[in-house]
Amino acid sequence: MPINYKEIEEFLCKLALEKVGPIIKSKSGTLQEYDLKTGSRRVDIVTAIDKQVEAIIWETVKKEYPDFKFIGEESYIKNVTKITDEPTFIIDPIDGTTNFVHDFPFSCTSMGLTVDKIPVVGVIFNPHINLLVSASKSNGVRVNGKEFDYKDKLKSMGPLVLNKSIVALQPGSAREGSNFICKMKTYQNLLDCEKGFIHGFRNLGSSAMTLAYIALGKLDSYWDGGCYCWDVCAGWCILNETGGTIVGANDQEWQIGVNNRTYLAVRGCFESTSGEQKKYIKDFWSCVDGKLSYE
Amino acid sequence: MALSKQELKSIENALINLVKEEVGPLIKVQSGTKFESYEDKANSVDLVTQVDQKVESIVKNYLLEKYPNFKFIGEESYVKGVTKITNEPTFIVDPIDGTTNFIHGFPYSCISLGLSENQKPVVGVVFNPHLNQLFHGSKGNGAFLNGTPIEVAKRPLVLQKALVGFESGSERDDSGNFDIKAKTCKNLLSQDGALIHGVRSLGSAAMNICYVATGMMDCYWEGGPWCWDVCAGWCILNETGGLIVNGNPNNWDVSLNGRCYFAIRGGSNEKEQHEFIKSFWSHVAGDLKYEYKD
Repeated sequence: MPINYKEIEEFLCKLALEKVGPIIKSKSGTLQEYDLKTGSRRVDIVTAIDKQVEAIIWETVKKEYPDFKFIGEESYIKNVTKITDEPTFIIDPIDGTTNFVHDFPFSCTSMGLTVDKIPVVGVIFNPHINLLVSASKSNGVRVNGKEFDYKDKLKSMGPLVLNKSIVALQPGSAREGSNFICKMKTYQNLLDCEKGFIHGFRNLGSSAMTLAYIALGKLDSYWDGGCYCWDVCAGWCILNETGGTIVGANDQEWQIGVNNRTYLAVRGCFESTSGEQKKYIKDFWSCVDGKLSYE
Repeated sequence: MALSKQELKSIENALINLVKEEVGPLIKVQSGTKFESYEDKANSVDLVTQVDQKVESIVKNYLLEKYPNFKFIGEESYVKGVTKITNEPTFIVDPIDGTTNFIHGFPYSCISLGLSENQKPVVGVVFNPHLNQLFHGSKGNGAFLNGTPIEVAKRPLVLQKALVGFESGSERDDSGNFDIKAKTCKNLLSQDGALIHGVRSLGSAAMNICYVATGMMDCYWEGGPWCWDVCAGWCILNETGGLIVNGNPNNWDVSLNGRCYFAIRGGSNEKEQHEFIKSFWSHVAGDLKYEYKD
């Protein structure tokens, strides 16, 4: 029997709105105790609430879809957990944990489904600004349950050109080594009036919210390295449904998998055949100084 | 004679009414639809729109009719080298703060209406119609978000655990400021530097200051804005136990139009704030230089 993606989207929306959102909203900014996940040399925060929320999501989806695989940020085991072709829920219980700890209003839940390793359902809910963005393959995008007319939005936007764009950038939690240096140099190239000269960068501290914002036409692109599949899976499906695309962060990485760890997400264009998107990606890559590389 | 607490509250209420009824809806409807209409101001990154000018004229007419003895300074009517902030009660207004956001439809453009007296901010109203966030306050009367008093939760203020508002700004040439900002950002993030929790960039000085006022960010460091970008937020921040000092190291004073600012949240005591400020300054990679206009 074929999988009904729309039904899964609705199921995840309900879970986000009724169970996960209220916890994130009520606990945001209330925690003084948290761990540094990967040791003292990184700023990667995890709280007890992350684990609790992931357990709730897991239990709920298992009951409804017992045969599907499940990959969650908190239960992921390095080198053991693999994405297969099976239907797989890929979940970040709380994306933007640093925001969550600080009560900066851009933490959210991000729940996606892949089939054949391709994102086919995506649900992102930010309870602080009450924004629910959802999509499923070939079914378009909904914002708080209402159909989102992405073509109309793209029509109202200006051309997709690097030096007229707003780019989301996040330094991330690794603060030394070649990736950190590559990021800092690339940011400067993007901003520099002799190089990328972008309109500006924005940093919301949540990959999922950033991808949702690109799909909604509020940002033009997002360049990052270090994220995992659960940070991007839901947003990837949503972005695909609005004509956007995700490639690798480094030059010539046109085809990447969901766990590539480096990403360049770019919005759609009204004239999808104009080649604007492709040119944008190439121009962007030319500002990347060095190479982002992760295990 | 200084304006009384009651008079300030009454002005605050008038400004709230103005942004909610008149100006907010205009900005909300037009955001993200004016891509082709911007003019080239200093360079192509500093964007001004017709809506900006229209909003300012609505605000100016309204305020000067209601408060004919007050002065008015607005971003769009400001004249370099001529417009001065005096001790008189002066409305200091940015019709649309976050113009780039406004043009692109990124939901962090807002209206920023402030009043200064004796060159200090005494009333502030900042309204973001996209997220429906209305921050307001006046001297001695506290600060509010959508009518609810802002209370910053007491918690330690430590640089390593800080979330810092940071913007690159529109000045991107080799005059020195761009380079100092990039180096400072790197110093703050780096393993060998402050190793802070993170930076956030919303693209609006007024919104950044308001987020510091609520404690959503711990601080905001900036060079380049003008008095109209900071006046309203500054008053709101003061009312929540926060403060603004100079963005350049070892300078505790900054005037309304000082153009280099460092805003620090409340929810901590003065000693902690001062330690935090000194610790932050130690990572600033040099003095930002701007033309001072007061």
